[in-house]
Amino acid sequence: MSIALQPTAAEQAFGMSLPHRRMEEWRWTDLRARLDKPYPSIDTAVDEKSVARIMAASPLAGIAKYRAVFVNGKFDATNSTIPALLPSVIPAQAGIHLSIKENRVQSDSRLRGNDDGVDDPLVVLNTSLKPEGVTLHFSSNITVLVEIMHIATNAAPRAVALRNHIEVAAGASATIIETFIGEGDYVLSSVTELELGEGARLDRIKLEWESAKANHLSQVVATLAKDARLNEFTLTSGAALNRQNGTYTFVGQNADAKISGAYLLNGKQHADTCLVVDHKVPHCTSRELFKCVMDDHARGIFQGKVIVRKHAQKTDGKQSSHALLLSETAEFDAKPELEIYADDVVCGHGATSGDINPDHLFYLRSRGIPEAEAKSLLIAAFVGEAFDNVENDDVRAALVNFAEDWLRQK
Amino acid sequence: MLKIENLHVKLEDENREILKGLSLSVKPGEVHAIMGPNGSGKSTLSYVLAGRDGYEVTEGEAMFNGEDLLAMDPNTRAAKGVFLAFQYPIEIPGVATMQFLKVALNAQRKARGEKELSIPEFMRFVKDRAAKLNISQDMLKRPVNVGFSGGEKKRAEVLQMAVLEPSLCILDETDSGLDIDALKVVADGVNALRSPVRAMIVITHYQRLLDYIVPDFVHVLSAGKIVKSGGKELAHELEKNGYADYAEKVA
Repeated sequence: MSIALQPTAAEQAFGMSLPHRRMEEWRWTDLRARLDKPYPSIDTAVDEKSVARIMAASPLAGIAKYRAVFVNGKFDATNSTIPALLPSVIPAQAGIHLSIKENRVQSDSRLRGNDDGVDDPLVVLNTSLKPEGVTLHFSSNITVLVEIMHIATNAAPRAVALRNHIEVAAGASATIIETFIGEGDYVLSSVTELELGEGARLDRIKLEWESAKANHLSQVVATLAKDARLNEFTLTSGAALNRQNGTYTFVGQNADAKISGAYLLNGKQHADTCLVVDHKVPHCTSRELFKCVMDDHARGIFQGKVIVRKHAQKTDGKQSSHALLLSETAEFDAKPELEIYADDVVCGHGATSGDINPDHLFYLRSRGIPEAEAKSLLIAAFVGEAFDNVENDDVRAALVNFAEDWLRQK
Repeated sequence: MLKIENLHVKLEDENREILKGLSLSVKPGEVHAIMGPNGSGKSTLSYVLAGRDGYEVTEGEAMFNGEDLLAMDPNTRAAKGVFLAFQYPIEIPGVATMQFLKVALNAQRKARGEKELSIPEFMRFVKDRAAKLNISQDMLKRPVNVGFSGGEKKRAEVLQMAVLEPSLCILDETDSGLDIDALKVVADGVNALRSPVRAMIVITHYQRLLDYIVPDFVHVLSAGKIVKSGGKELAHELEKNGYADYAEKVA
């Protein structure tokens, strides 16, 4: 029995029904109830000074050599520094091809539905918001960092969207950063497609540092061909509401995906990561590691599903999520799921949740380290395991600095 | 330096008294051994002096250089010069040993109003001391005590002591889990720290350690009290006759 519900203001604005708590994957994140305003899709006047200020405040400012900047969902050519776009300013970088698309929706048949034939609500939402985005095509070994940055400026509540496509050709390698940073009250919808060719290598770092009032809704759809390697790290610390979906599909053998992340949440922040790793072929390896720190009334959720298809023998899939709760009222929920149809696989999952170990704390204090500093050191050590997956030294150092600042301001 | 007077301590969780009127006076330069059977209160004494939670002092006092030691935070005690070498050193994943030493030393120096050491100064300072304890650079890079063998853990404790230069070292069962070679390295490290301005309390069940770290005084702890004190020869007497004599006395 289903009850027809009156569309909410947000649903009317988006022209779709939003996922709600009676849907299994959304039980902890009732989007229908949480988005309590219309959030129209409107163009916002952009104040250049705000953009400059927010850009400069990014924890990753100045690290990437090339940037594609979007402000309130629109491409910002002035602040972007991509060789193919600005050939007169920077000599074209061999191996990076870039194109900007105004309305990216029509090309994305891969996103049209999952195996159950149901469109992912976050992709549907993104489509309804007519996203802009870039296609980055890496065709050789690119060592410079490329950043896709979205900036939201303070304005009336609205919804903005981005859809990016990253292709790493066979044998090529690249490192990309996706940064989300902003001010004000908005819905940010982002879809990122990752396509890794044979033997391709992609390091992807995402920083979610949206405004404290924002709603960040994102979806990653990745496919890995034979021998491809994906190494991802997401730091989630902004937004009032965060929902990050990811689907990673192995389509060629001997590929390897390392998906890691850290939460640094306080106040009433809510972050829900929902990942599906789909082993469709044999001999692939997946590793998921999430280290989540929650203070005050913050709530963190990690839902991870590993599917091993019937023919995907010799799959090696491991998943773990660990939470450190710094207050009595913080909360963490983990839902690990293994769906295994092959019979010769190594798969496992683990989830832990706890507060700071008093023995650790006493040991540090007995050496003269004051309590607050000892706690910070232990929290930094806790999330550090996930940060260690970031291979680029500059990016990792900047993220560690960010985490240390977060701990100090706590 | 340390004056413990009629100290009574019970566990916070259970209504059980562990120390029942312990008194001990330690002067700079002295090495005191505290020996006793299991359950006599040896570890409780070391934890209470270091400031671990979970113990309640119901009577008596412990003064350190004229100040009420028991009223201080564990970190304040450390900055004032108290160091406990743990029987079971704690593993701290994710914190490199070198970083830990630097943060601890600088926190203590800051608390004492001293200038923090620069990184090169600090590195020289630690490398020199680590070499003497046969501690490799690799070990210093590893997380504190994680994956260390029993001997490595105890050496790391002595290294911390050598770096932090406390005025009162409390060694809790430092010999436990060590073979004779490892014991010698640790004892050499401890002996190198003996000084007229530094006192040590060596807590042990066995006399063996005291062959290497020769004490000035030996105290027998039984059922929460010091029941006999003497010179180093007392340790040999205990080794021969066991603790049975003393257990009977308090019973």
